[in-house]
Parts: sequence; structure tokens; C-alpha cells
Amino acid sequence: MATLKVDNLTKTFPAHGKGGLPVRAIQGITFEMSGQVFVSLVGPSGCGKSTLLNIVSGVDTPSTGTVAVTQDGKKARLGYVFQDPRLLPWRTVMQNMLYVSDLPEEEARANAMRYLEMVGLEDAGEMFPGQLSGGMQQRVGIARAFSVSPDLLLMDEPFSHLDAITARSLREQLQAIWNETKKTVLFVTHDVMEAVQLSNRIITLAHGGTVFDDTSVDLPFPRKASDPEFATHQAKILGRFETMEAERAAASGQRT
Amino acid sequence: MTTTTANTPGWTRTKAWQAITSDWGARITFYISVVLGWQLLAWRVDRVPEPWETLDFLGRELTGDSHGGRITGEFWEHFLATVQRFGIGLVVGFVIGVAVGIAIGSSPFVRTLLHDVMLVFLALPAVIWAFLTVMWFGLGWEAPVYTVVLSAVPFVAVNVAQGVRAVSPELHRMSDAFGVPRMRRLRSLLLPAITGYLFTGLRFAVIIGWNAVLLAEWFGSSNGVGWRSRFWYDAARYRGFVGWVIIFITFIFLLDGFVMRPLQRRAFRWRAKRAEEGEIGVSAAEIEELTMTGV
Repeated sequence: MATLKVDNLTKTFPAHGKGGLPVRAIQGITFEMSGQVFVSLVGPSGCGKSTLLNIVSGVDTPSTGTVAVTQDGKKARLGYVFQDPRLLPWRTVMQNMLYVSDLPEEEARANAMRYLEMVGLEDAGEMFPGQLSGGMQQRVGIARAFSVSPDLLLMDEPFSHLDAITARSLREQLQAIWNETKKTVLFVTHDVMEAVQLSNRIITLAHGGTVFDDTSVDLPFPRKASDPEFATHQAKILGRFETMEAERAAASGQRT
Repeated sequence: MTTTTANTPGWTRTKAWQAITSDWGARITFYISVVLGWQLLAWRVDRVPEPWETLDFLGRELTGDSHGGRITGEFWEHFLATVQRFGIGLVVGFVIGVAVGIAIGSSPFVRTLLHDVMLVFLALPAVIWAFLTVMWFGLGWEAPVYTVVLSAVPFVAVNVAQGVRAVSPELHRMSDAFGVPRMRRLRSLLLPAITGYLFTGLRFAVIIGWNAVLLAEWFGSSNGVGWRSRFWYDAARYRGFVGWVIIFITFIFLLDGFVMRPLQRRAFRWRAKRAEEGEIGVSAAEIEELTMTGV
């Protein structure tokens, strides 16, 4: 069972250029998640969501605090879906899938095909990314991340660059794949509706990189935005956002 | 009864004009102009051989005959000796250039370390290397080969270094996040990403290396294209000298048309294929440009 433990994590970026000030992106974040959960990190732009994901993936290092990703006590295998697809343009879709695989070739091909089928791209294996639409490329990105059998899957606003209709269709596909695979997922988004549709649990980050709210979403899948209960959950989270903004405005009023 | 023949002359004129102004038309017009200009120059200047005389000489040099008491028919011996030296020098220079370029592009330390050295190497003309290598190695195969290597390395290295620095950091971060092994990353990410720069470097290396091998042979060899050109030059047989100039220009043209361009087309088929699909709005002219320059 995959477990992610984030303990009192802080990240400060050094001052940039002459007269610049250090930027504190994350300030003392602590949370834990494990098992078959889909956790969303929501928050306004610049609250440190992507920085947190980079630290969890090992691409960036924390200033203080610790992050531990384990699978039954051992180091866990990670998968990553980025905001943009990040495919090698000079390799075919299948070659892109094989690029990240550590299985023997035959097995890797069969495995890749299984996940391409899940995202409806079983016929696109020999195509180059440039021949696919943005939505199809992102589906390859999702298939690639699932294909490495990650213990923990990190997703960084994967639908934010897509049009609303494509994003909706991909959310439904992601929900179906997750229901089938039940991977441990940490999903970053600034879209509350998206978080409510996909997650079991939503962690809200505030400006300045602190945890403001941590709430579970106990609604059955598949979820539809038109359901009254869905709307209630969404309204509850948005209400918390309004409280957060009001507190921030009050704090900044006190300072001035 | 009416006919439509009245329209024919206009239609023919348009077709003929289109043929003349096409790419092939432009090329053929250029070559005809060169031969005509050459012939005119030969009529006016004694020391310029006529085109047909030069062609006649080339025929003798290929098949074997005598020319003004001097032996001809040694084309293949000299040509193959030069191609061999050029080939070895180019391969060695390219491999060293790629390795140095990757090191410069990947490491700020190596970049600073070799910055001034690369500048000196880029600034030195091939003729200096030709003189130096002849001084160091004497007459023989070494001087031309080392001249090609020394002339080619900086151009390949600088281009490759530029390519390495231009590789998308997002793709590197993606590879980091998935823990892609180093060798696979080199083969599937770095080398394809710098292919355009590799071809630019290779093209420079071919042109500069070919010049270099001829210069080195001119000054310090006892056979080869450079030596043979000098032989006819010293004998004041200008048709021989011009004949060999035509041979080394033709070689570069053939190398470019039959080796470099097909290689580039193959390396960039992923871009051309994407463009052919018409999905990214690239015109046929741009595909041609892409496959020709590799940029």
C-alpha cells in the first residue's frame, strides 16, 4: 500500500537578481495519504501546489521538512501527468510509452497497448505526437503515467490547457481508469468542480503555502455536476474559499 | 465549324514560362549560363581553358592517355586516396566534436574551460592547420587526416553544444520524474533533439574538411586530389587544374545530394510526416525547406 507522508514541509526560493527577495512557496505543510485514494490539492495560483508536487516527485528539494513516499515500507514507484503532455515529438506514441517503461520489450509493448486501449488510442501507436490533437496527446500522457504501474500517481493540472468539452471527456475517462486501477493519486487543480468530481479527499492550500482545509468527499462514482449533492459539496468548498479570501483581506487590512 | 486553336499559343507560352521559372528551370538556366560565361571568358583570356578542352582532359584522366607528354589516367588513385583521408578525418572529427559538444552543452564548467580554446580553433583557417600538420608529420597520410580532424571538430562541437543547451528542460524533467536510465535518455531524448544541430555541424565539417584535405595535400602529400591539382598547376596545364577543381566541386555536390539530404530526410521524417498530414498547417514548400536544411 502506497503511503505519502509530508511533514512540516517548507520551500523557499532564493532571491533572484539584485535587490530581489527570497520567495517562500510552501510554509509548514503536513499531511498524510495512503491506500486507494484520489486526493486533490486545490488552491489559488501561486499557493505552492506545483512546487509541492515537484518535491514529492523528487524533481525539487525541500528547504526544511521531509517527504516520504513508500510502498509497503520500500521506496515507491511514481507516475507523473504534467500540465502539458511532454511527449518526445520525434518518437511515435508507442515509443513514448516504451521510453518510461522498465519492463522487457515484449511485455512493455503489451502493457502500453493495454493503457492506450483504456484511453481509446489503441490505433494511434504508430503515430507521432504532432499528428494528434492536444486532448489525444494528453490522453497519451495519462496512459504513459498509468503504464509504469505507479504506486503513487502525481497529476499536475493535467486538463488546464484543454478546452472545456475535451477536459470534461478526459475527466470521465480518468474517473473510469481510476475506478479500474484504484491507484493512489495526488491531483493538483485550481478547479473546485474538477476536484469534487474526481476526489475522495480535497486539501485546500492557502496563499503563502499553508494547508487551509482538509475535507473528504463521500459521494458515489460516477459523479455528475448536475446532482444536488455534488452542488452542495462544491458550494461548501467554494464557501471555504470565500472565508479564506475574507480572512486574507482582513489580515492585509490590519497590516496597512 | 469552330476550333479552339486560337487559344493554343497563349497556353503554350504560359506553360513554357512556368517551366522556365520552376526550380528545375532555374537550375538548368544557371548551369547553361555558367558554361556560356566560361566559354566567353575562354575566348577572351588565353589562360582560361575552354569547357570542351577541360571535359576532354577529364575523359583522358579517367581512361588513361597522354597529355602534353605527361601521363594521365590516374584519376581513381588520387581521388580514392583523398576520399579515404577525408572519410577517416571526418568520422574522427565528428565523433570528437559530438563528444566535446555534449560536454560543453551539459556542463557550465567545461563550457568555461573550453570557451577560449574553441574560439581559437574556430578562428584558425584550415590553411594554418595544413601548414602545421605538414610541419609536424611531414609528407604522408597523417597531415591531411589531422588537418580534417582539427578543422572539423570546432564546428561540430559548437553546433552540438548549442543543440544540447536548447533541449527542452520540460522533457528532461519528465525523464527525471519517470527515472529514465541515462543511456536511453541519450539515445531517445538528447540525440534526436540535437539532430538539426548535428546536421548543421556535419555540413560545416564536410565543407571545411574537404577544403582542408585538399590544402594539406597541396602542400604536403605525394598523391591525392590536392596534390594532382598542384601537379597540373605547376605544369602550367590549366585544363588539368580546372578539371580537378571541377572534380572536387562535383564531389561535394554529389555528397550533399545523395548522402546528406537523404540522411536528413530520414532523420526528420517525424516532422515531414506530421506536416504532410496537414494537421499543423505546414505548407509543402516548408516541408521541402525542412527536408533540405534540417532546421
